[in-house]
Amino acid sequence: MGLRGPMPGPEDAADLVAVAEPAAPLVVPSSRQLARARRRASRGRAWQQFRRSRPGMAGLVVLVTFATLAVLAPVLFPPETISVVDATGDPLSPPSPGFPLGTDESGRSILALVVWGARVSLVVGLAATVVSMLIGTVIGVMAGHYRGWVGMGLNRFTDWFLVIPFLPLAIVLATVLGASLLNIIIVIGITSWPGTARLVRAQTLSVSARPYLERARALGGGDLHQMTRHVLPNVMPLVLANTTLMVALAILSETTLSFLGLGDPLAPSWGALLDGAFTSGAMTVGAWWYVLPPGLCVVAVVLAFTLIGRALEAIVDPQLSGQQR
Amino acid sequence: MHTRALRRTGAALLAAAAVALTGAPGIAPAEESPSAVPAAAATGPYTVGMTTDVDSLNPFTGIVAESFEMYQLMYPTLTTSSAEDFSPVPDLAESWTESADQTTWTYRIRPDLTWSDGTPLTARDAAYSFNRVIDGDYEQTNYGGYVANITRAEAPDDTTLVLTVSKPTPLMDRLAVYILPEHVWREIDGKEVRSFPNEPTDGQPIVGAGPYLLVERQKGQFLRFQANPTHWRGKPAFDELVFRVYENDDALGQALRKGEVDFAHDMQANVFDAISGDSVITPIEAANYDFSEIGFNTGAALADGTPIGDGHPALRDTRVRQALNWAIDRQVLVDKVLAGHGTPGSTVIPPLYTTLHLKPANPYTYDPARAGQLLDEAGYPLGADGKRQDTDGTPLTLRLLGRQESQESQQTVQFVQGWLEDLGITVETKIVSEDTLIELNGQGNFDIFEWGWGVEPDPDYQLSTFTCAQRSSEDDGTIYAGLSDSHFCNEEYDRLYAEQATQTDPVQRAETVRQMQQILYDEAPYAVTYYPDMLQARRTDAAHALVAQPTTSADGRPGRQLFQFGTWTYDAIQPGAAPADGASDAAGTQDTSAGGVSPAVIGGAAALAVLGIAAAVLLGRRRRSDEDVE
Repeated sequence: MGLRGPMPGPEDAADLVAVAEPAAPLVVPSSRQLARARRRASRGRAWQQFRRSRPGMAGLVVLVTFATLAVLAPVLFPPETISVVDATGDPLSPPSPGFPLGTDESGRSILALVVWGARVSLVVGLAATVVSMLIGTVIGVMAGHYRGWVGMGLNRFTDWFLVIPFLPLAIVLATVLGASLLNIIIVIGITSWPGTARLVRAQTLSVSARPYLERARALGGGDLHQMTRHVLPNVMPLVLANTTLMVALAILSETTLSFLGLGDPLAPSWGALLDGAFTSGAMTVGAWWYVLPPGLCVVAVVLAFTLIGRALEAIVDPQLSGQQR
Repeated sequence: MHTRALRRTGAALLAAAAVALTGAPGIAPAEESPSAVPAAAATGPYTVGMTTDVDSLNPFTGIVAESFEMYQLMYPTLTTSSAEDFSPVPDLAESWTESADQTTWTYRIRPDLTWSDGTPLTARDAAYSFNRVIDGDYEQTNYGGYVANITRAEAPDDTTLVLTVSKPTPLMDRLAVYILPEHVWREIDGKEVRSFPNEPTDGQPIVGAGPYLLVERQKGQFLRFQANPTHWRGKPAFDELVFRVYENDDALGQALRKGEVDFAHDMQANVFDAISGDSVITPIEAANYDFSEIGFNTGAALADGTPIGDGHPALRDTRVRQALNWAIDRQVLVDKVLAGHGTPGSTVIPPLYTTLHLKPANPYTYDPARAGQLLDEAGYPLGADGKRQDTDGTPLTLRLLGRQESQESQQTVQFVQGWLEDLGITVETKIVSEDTLIELNGQGNFDIFEWGWGVEPDPDYQLSTFTCAQRSSEDDGTIYAGLSDSHFCNEEYDRLYAEQATQTDPVQRAETVRQMQQILYDEAPYAVTYYPDMLQARRTDAAHALVAQPTTSADGRPGRQLFQFGTWTYDAIQPGAAPADGASDAAGTQDTSAGGVSPAVIGGAAALAVLGIAAAVLLGRRRRSDEDVE
């Protein structure tokens, strides 16, 4: 349970006892075992809370559906179905039994492309988020932990990134680095970390004022020890909740950049599909089947991540959950 | 006109970003100015829509084809290309003669002409313009090819221009060097000209002598011209001419449909098909002089023969390049990439130029078996894993580059990748910007790429791009790209190139040019993929009497009606529908337009609205969480 959690109530105490009991009769559990048991218990509780959040569960169902589709893409639609050379449909033909969502300008099935697009969009979204989260957490923890000019400098550095408008920076970077999936991940990663960094820094500041950090310092714990053993575990829940929200933003960013033709046009992400529709005149032709499916998929997945993220946030941040209930 | 490498630079990405962000792309621009509903007033502006902006109005700076359209509206040339068949016809020069010893050409300039500011326009302006290019440095960029053999330009009197050439030159009746007003341009020195915008300030038109005068320009939005009342072919019927720039093909299609523009230039195939059914629109599927190619690194080198770059050695083997030619299904590319609006490609001089084009006796058809056989012969047999490999067992892996700016290019490379992989070749495809591609081409760091050229009526420029001398050059350790992107070098070809450059008899020269095409076809530095049609469309009620160039092409179709070599349409066009035009309209075609577009627009708007809400929610959320922790 996160540090800012409520004082253990009767229910929590019962949990603790229940978990600790099987080990108790023989040996006194080590501190490590205790910690592990405590964490397991808190995870179980978090899951209980999450299950009570209806929007969160809805998001999870949507997300699991898309993830399953993405994983099964090669089975459902063999790679040949999205190869232009082997395409069998007429260009831009409306939905039909053979092509439930119609075809693109090369005669490929939009349904197959959208399912394959889920792979690319999810992978890019997750990978970019990992990059962003790593940078954001490292800088955030350091900025909060070190006082003086190091913290100040890192903080200003974050501010500086925060005020640069995202899109122009991303466009310039994508143009300079060239169009590829890896570059898109890098671009999104290094343009979206400042929010995480500030969040983490604020939490770090709050954690640093706690007595146990004072104790750690008094016992001679170094900076690295304090940051990794005490600060990090306590900001982690917040980071995870933030991450989930960040994935949604990353997927939107990937869609935006691909739509602008800055992604890898050969990888069928949803953004690249929208770009394809846009440049092949689908709007004038009236090919709604080319525009709507990828657009709605983006909305669904972004919404799913947002719902899950907010549910998680409510769990790790009781103040927020208090407000909401 | 000097259409360098059909460099359809496409809408600048940043500008595209701006449009995309403001919401419904393709709908927004049309709604901004509902005032431009088809002009009932007969001489209201004739509005032309295009998707590429003019890159510069300075004739020494611009590169894209759209810019050259502006130059020829503003400035005369000595001769121009006829609307019928591109043959040279008088423009500023009434007549011209070559001296018996083939060392001088004398042009008789029209008498009693004035520039738009009242200053007389004489042979001295013409001599000045030529000498500026001959003596110039920066000025050579666009026009150096025309004056390569010209040593001196003189004006003995107001109506006589004498050009002295160092050797017999067939190009002399096609000198597309714009004649500029000396009294304006002599104020701009060789350094200043590099950044001179040549755009109107404080409402004064740019001094010119063409059929139209440039009065206003808003970068990325429009260019406005006024008819030149003193033009020697007479004042054009439309008092005002406007070119509007659209960020994307859909927007251009909608603008034409709504009557915001009267003419749409260079349309995307699907958009063209969709609007062709409209009863008020006349589609123009014009024969064209562009070609697209898959180019190969034939062994990159500097002009002196020093090898450069990291091109795959397999492509130095003619058999491999031929194999790749047999592996490309050109008809599929035409059907799928161009939606049928084009013809499969063969040689580098398009069939539109009937007298010059070579129709190969033994054309490359789609024949994977033959391609495989050639690869076997060249030493790249199929391995046990179904992949081609060389004698050491290294898999044959080729890099393929497509262009970010062109949807057609990206589609083409996907097809080519598929076909090559069917042959057992491993293909690594990458999409790069055109600037990057020029650089990679120049340095020889590529294997295969996709691009295209626009070929002008005189074949010299196009043919020069395959000469040894046009390979890259080195200066102070920096490698500069020449015109050759395949680094092709062939002794016999170079000999024929030099020969055609001195053949002033058109028939003999055409024969040489065809021989050169045969060499290129057999040696295969390029696989010419297709000749795309030029897709234009116009509103039938806005004007009539437009002129096609050429009147008829090899396959019997007329050519484009604007953006030609010469200002034929602008001189002839008349306001209003043609007196008995009804029958010739695209009548009888299905009228799906109204029903077809609305779901797309509604659907698109809905999708964008939902996206917008999602984004707003997310951003709002993020802002709040930031506030929370502060």
